[in-house]
Amino acid sequence: MDEAVDGEHDISLPSSEQTVIKRKRKDMSHQDHPRFFDPHQRATVAAAMARIIPTDDVPGASEAGCVDFIDLYLSGIDHIYAKPDGSGFETLSGVTAESWTRRIGILRQKYIEGIGVLDAEARKRFDAAFFQLDAEQQDEILTALEHSGSQPACAGAPPGESPALQQTLTETDLEFLPLLIMHTRQGFYCDPIYGGNKNRVGWDAIGFPGPTSLMEVFTGRFTALPWFAEGEEEKYREANRGA
Amino acid sequence: MAHKAKPSRAEVCIIGAGASGAAAAKVLTGKGVRVVALERGPWRRKETFGGDELANINRYNLWPDPSINPRTARTSGTEHAHLEMFCPVPQMVGGGTVHWQGWLPRFTPNDFRLRTIAGEVKGATLADWPISYEELEPYYAKVEWAFGVSGQAGANKFEGPRSVGYPCPPLPVSRYAEKFNKGCDALGWNAFPTPQAALSRAFNGREPTVISAFAQQHGDPTGTRSSALNVFVPDAVRTGLCDLRAECYVRELTLDRDGAVMSAIYQDVDGDLVEQEADVFILACGALESARLLLLSRSGRFPNGLANTNDLVGRNVTFHEYSAAVGLFDDPIYAWAGGGYVSASSFQFYEHDERRGHVSGGHLACAGVGIPLPINWRLPDAPAWGAAAKQNDRDNFNHSMAVAMVLHDMPRHGNRVDLDDAVKDAWGLPAARITLTPHDNDLKQGRFLIDRAADILEAAGSKKVQKVYAQRVTGNCSHQHGTLRMGVDPATSVLDKYCRAHEVDNLYAVDGSPFPTATGANPTLTIMANAWRVADRIADDRGSSARK
Repeated sequence: MDEAVDGEHDISLPSSEQTVIKRKRKDMSHQDHPRFFDPHQRATVAAAMARIIPTDDVPGASEAGCVDFIDLYLSGIDHIYAKPDGSGFETLSGVTAESWTRRIGILRQKYIEGIGVLDAEARKRFDAAFFQLDAEQQDEILTALEHSGSQPACAGAPPGESPALQQTLTETDLEFLPLLIMHTRQGFYCDPIYGGNKNRVGWDAIGFPGPTSLMEVFTGRFTALPWFAEGEEEKYREANRGA
Repeated sequence: MAHKAKPSRAEVCIIGAGASGAAAAKVLTGKGVRVVALERGPWRRKETFGGDELANINRYNLWPDPSINPRTARTSGTEHAHLEMFCPVPQMVGGGTVHWQGWLPRFTPNDFRLRTIAGEVKGATLADWPISYEELEPYYAKVEWAFGVSGQAGANKFEGPRSVGYPCPPLPVSRYAEKFNKGCDALGWNAFPTPQAALSRAFNGREPTVISAFAQQHGDPTGTRSSALNVFVPDAVRTGLCDLRAECYVRELTLDRDGAVMSAIYQDVDGDLVEQEADVFILACGALESARLLLLSRSGRFPNGLANTNDLVGRNVTFHEYSAAVGLFDDPIYAWAGGGYVSASSFQFYEHDERRGHVSGGHLACAGVGIPLPINWRLPDAPAWGAAAKQNDRDNFNHSMAVAMVLHDMPRHGNRVDLDDAVKDAWGLPAARITLTPHDNDLKQGRFLIDRAADILEAAGSKKVQKVYAQRVTGNCSHQHGTLRMGVDPATSVLDKYCRAHEVDNLYAVDGSPFPTATGANPTLTIMANAWRVADRIADDRGSSARK
C-alpha cells in the first residue's frame, strides 16, 4: 500500500497539520491515487482552477482533471518524475528525495494557507465558502487576490517588470495565486500520466498533436515532421531511406 | 575520511564532463593520453530521457535543483545576495548539451579583436583575445565534422573564411523559419540556415536526428541529437584510455611543494573523500563553477584562491541574455515542431557598427514560444487566467513565433562570481554568488536587436508584433564566460593563450571561462573548438617531453 494513502508519509509539517493530514488520508484511502487534500480543500482548489481555465465550448480545468494533477503532486514524492517510457514513476533517493520532501512540504503549506485566504475572503464578502460561490463571485475574489499580491499573476518577474523569457521558475518562491495558476496550466497541458490533461483535452483545446503516450517519444516513433515543414516530410524520408 | 584505495595517478585529470571536458577527453585519449574525468553529476543514458515538459523544465530532472545546488545573486557588492538560480546548466555528463537545441554558429574574425575595433568603452573591460579566428578555424572544422553539424557553408555572409564546408546539409526549412527568411528577404538582410547540432542525414554511423516536439530543454531519448554525451563521450570511452567517474564532486585542488597542482580532492557517490593525483589538471566545470573551484582551493601560497594573486578569478563574467520579439500570423506555423529553434538565423546586426551608437551586436534567429507547450512561456501580453487567457492560448499556440537575440553583454571588473558567505550547497560548500550590474551598452544593444527582430516579423507579415526588451541580465541563456580570462599579460588575465594559468604550470581551463569577451553568438561551438585546441597542445607537449 502506498505510504501516502495511509497517512504515514514522512513529509514534515507543523504538528497540527500532521493531524489534519492523517485524518483526511484515511478519508481518501478509497481513491485510486494517493492524495493530499481533504474534500473541502479539494473542492476549493477545483473551483478556483475552473475559473483559471474555465470550460467554454471546449473542456477546461475541470474536465482536464487539474485538481487531480495537483492532488497527486502534493501527495508525496512518489509521483514527481514519470519514467520516461511511461511505465510508472521514479523512486527518489538521497539528496533528491530530501529536497523534494522539503519542497512538497513548503507547497502543501502554501496551499493550506491559500485555501484559507480564499475562504476567508469568501466569508467576508459573501458569507459562504469559496467553492459555494457562483463563478462571478469567485472571479471577484481571484481578481482581488491578483491585485493584492506582490508578484504578477504571470510569475517570473519582479513587480513592475515583464518576465525574462525562458526563465526557469522556482515554485517555492511563488505566492499562492501565481503558484495556483502555474499548477493549473501544468495540469491542463502536462502529459496525462501526471493525472491532468485527461483524454488530452488540454492539447486538443490548443491544437497540439502530441504523442499518444510517453512511450511514443521514448522510442522515437513520435515525429513532428508533418507540422515542421511544408512538403519536407517525404523528401526527408526519401533522403534517409535505409538509414 | 573513509579509507578507499587511492586511485592511481593519471596523466591528465579533467574536472567536468560537459561540452568542453568531453571534447578535451576525446582529443587527449585519441592521442594516447590516459585521462581521468571527474563529473559531479550522473552519467545518464538515453533511456533516462523522455518527452516530459514537467519533469524536464519544471521539476529539475535536467536543470539543477536550487535547494541542492543553490546560487545567489545581487547587483552590487554592498547588497545582500538573494537565492536565485542564476545561469543554471544541467550538471551531468554531457552538461548543457544534454538538453540543448544546439545553435552552433562560428564567431566572426572581429570577435577576437573587439577592443581594437571598438576602442575603449567606459565602464567595461573589453579586451582582444590572445588568439585569432585563423588560429581557431581548423578546430571549428574538427568539431563541426565530429558532431555532424547541419548547415550551409557560405550562407552567412558575415562568417570568416572556412577551410571546409558543413558535413550535413541544413535541416529542412521549418514553417517558422520560412517567415524569418521572408522578413529578411523583404528587408534586404542576410539570413542563413542556423547551423544545428542535429543530423539532417545519416552521418558517421549515426541515424538522422528525430524531428520531435521535445527538443529545446529536453533530453533526447533517441540518442540521435549531436551532443557531448552522444558523440565525444563515446569517442573517448572507446579508446579505453578514459576513466570517466560520474557523481564525483571535486571540492578542492591541492598544491605540491613546487606550486603545481598535486591532486583533486573529491567526494564520490558513496560520500567518501578520494584524492586523485595527475600531471595536468583541466578545469571544465563551466565558467561559474570553474572559478568557484579555484576560489575554494585556498593555500598558503594562494590565500585568495588558486591562481588568484591578481584578484581576477571570477571577474569579468558575462552571460548573454535571451529575449525576443514575438509575432502572430494568420496561417499556422507550428513553432513548437522540431523544438522551435530550427532553422533560420541572421548576423546582419552582429558586427560592430559605430553608427548605431552602441558597441557590437548579436545573433538573431527564429525561435519557438512554448517548449513545446504554453506551460512555461506565454505571449507577453497574455492575461494570466480566466476565459481570455484560455482563448489566447487557443488562438495563438499554432500561430505565434519569436525572433530571438543573443545579447553581447560587456565584461566589467565589478561583475563577478565569488563565494557566498552564508548559503551552502548540499555538500556544505559555499554557493557561487553572482554580483552583476549590466552595462548601459547591454540595454541599448538589446533594445536595438529586439527592434530589428520586430522588423523581421513585421516584414514577414505578422499581424501583431510585441517586443520584450531585456531589462536585466538574468543568466537565462545558460551561457557563461570570462571568469578566468585568457590574455598575454599576467597582470590583466588569469590564463595564457593556451588557457594555462599564468601562475600554475599544470593547470588549464577549457570551458567558457577563458573568453575575454562574450561575443553575440552561442558559445558552445567555440568552447569545444578551443578545448580541442588546448587539448591538442597538451597532448603534443607531453609527446615532446616524453621524447626528450
